[in-house]
Amino acid sequence: MLLRAFVVLALSSAAVAQGAPACSQIVVAASATAPSEMRAWLLRIHDAASRHNFQGTFVVSGGGNVASARIAHFCDGPNQYERIESLDGRQRRVYRHNDVVHTIWPANHVAMIEQRGMLSSFPALLQAGDDGIADWYEVRAEGSERVAGHEANVLAISARDGLRYGYRLWADRASGLLLRAEVVGERGDILETSAFSDVVIGIRPQPETVLSEMRRLEGYRVVRPVLTPTRLEAEGWSMRQLAPGFRPVSCVSRQIDAAGDAGGEGAAPPVIQSIYSDGLTYVSVFIEPFRAARHAKPMFASIGATSTLSQRHGDWWVTIIGDTPPATLKIFAAALERRKP
Amino acid sequence: MPISGFDDSTRERLSALADGELDPAASTASCAAWGQDPQLRADWHAWHLIGDVLRSDDLAADPRHDRTFSARLAARLKAEPVVLAPASLAGAVGSRFERPSRRGRWTAAGAVAAGFVLVVGTFAVVRPGDSPPAQIARDDVAGAIMAPAVAPAPVTEVSAQPVAIVADNKIIRDAQLERYLEAHKQFAGTSALGVPSAFLRSATVDSAAR
Repeated sequence: MLLRAFVVLALSSAAVAQGAPACSQIVVAASATAPSEMRAWLLRIHDAASRHNFQGTFVVSGGGNVASARIAHFCDGPNQYERIESLDGRQRRVYRHNDVVHTIWPANHVAMIEQRGMLSSFPALLQAGDDGIADWYEVRAEGSERVAGHEANVLAISARDGLRYGYRLWADRASGLLLRAEVVGERGDILETSAFSDVVIGIRPQPETVLSEMRRLEGYRVVRPVLTPTRLEAEGWSMRQLAPGFRPVSCVSRQIDAAGDAGGEGAAPPVIQSIYSDGLTYVSVFIEPFRAARHAKPMFASIGATSTLSQRHGDWWVTIIGDTPPATLKIFAAALERRKP
Repeated sequence: MPISGFDDSTRERLSALADGELDPAASTASCAAWGQDPQLRADWHAWHLIGDVLRSDDLAADPRHDRTFSARLAARLKAEPVVLAPASLAGAVGSRFERPSRRGRWTAAGAVAAGFVLVVGTFAVVRPGDSPPAQIARDDVAGAIMAPAVAPAPVTEVSAQPVAIVADNKIIRDAQLERYLEAHKQFAGTSALGVPSAFLRSATVDSAAR
């Protein structure tokens, strides 16, 4: 469903408006876990999802808004299958077979088919020990708690600077499956929570139920977003500097307008989307030609764990979205440079 | 058909009129009521705005435009001399009317509003302290529109001039931002918590209105 989790992000608007990066270090009392141990934790959480069959109700909440979905996940050797049915609002079903994701809106007979290559890219970085996560985050084990009927290990991840949020994770003690995750703001406030309210781990895999649904598309208008790989430099742009800890992970050229709602103004120009990650969170930089009708006002806001910045850059319009504090986006915005006219 | 203030049957008839399901006589009465009662006029406008938003992002215009346009049109009409009385439409289009089965579709403001929020209540920003924008509806209608969102989606604005459609300083939405957000979330696998948690999270929360 559509409701997003909204939480007040208690930010000093004055400090950010002046462009001063908020460098409030999070003080950690207990001794932190070694980088290798942190990597082991994250890998275990990651692996658990691809090795176990589970089914449950997943709830994302914050600020009084709640979105929930029924989730089933199956593994069959290296193959991953998922079925996600929204329980609130408009009916919507998501099916995943490895990198292929089908999103279906039965009410208006629209199906979107996506190839999400990025879904499996990160573990390589983790395994190589080249993630750099420990340079920017500190991890502490915080004992165990019971979540969704399972005993879980609690992991507190705090940011070492003001350019990223912290997390608190609950991983099933037996399987390692992530049962609950919180995004924690600079002042320890919880910006967003996602958690299983109930989950059964170790069910019988039924991948065919997912595949048969993915084949059943007659009667649906099928939308296939096209993402063309590119490089920022090839598009005539460069980043003078990146926000500390972030690296480029992907850059694509794509349409941003949902298919069929261009409103008769013809095909909109493609948008460049450049993605940067610090290992735990990520930022998207969108660049497109400036259109006065669409791009009226600059905008800078935080909603829940997501910050957004939109502003004009000469003949271009730049939108930056990240699950980070707003200060991080400002660094990206200031570093973006047009290399050719 | 006596119109006695602002009762349910008046609103029900207005709702039927909005759906083109009222017979000519009742239409006349409803239009008269609509012309006299600013509250009914606000309802009428709110229902159409809701309908527009449900139909297409591109129709989700700033309600201020409508209001300004209506006010200017009313002023200009007032200044126009009346040239002739319109002929009755009853014979020509009477058969189109009276489909009572769908009546009352817009009467339950709460129910309508619930659907509205579920479709569009996603990513938008408020301008606190902004001059109150167009009253798209009476306060309680606007309240009903936002009510299913549980909390009025508090947002901290960091800098100036967010793009948003705001009614009574409450959020409606910004369709354009939702698309960027959706595009951003497609790369959820970029995070170490990526699959499954970030994917499950983004798949659970639907931010694009399609």
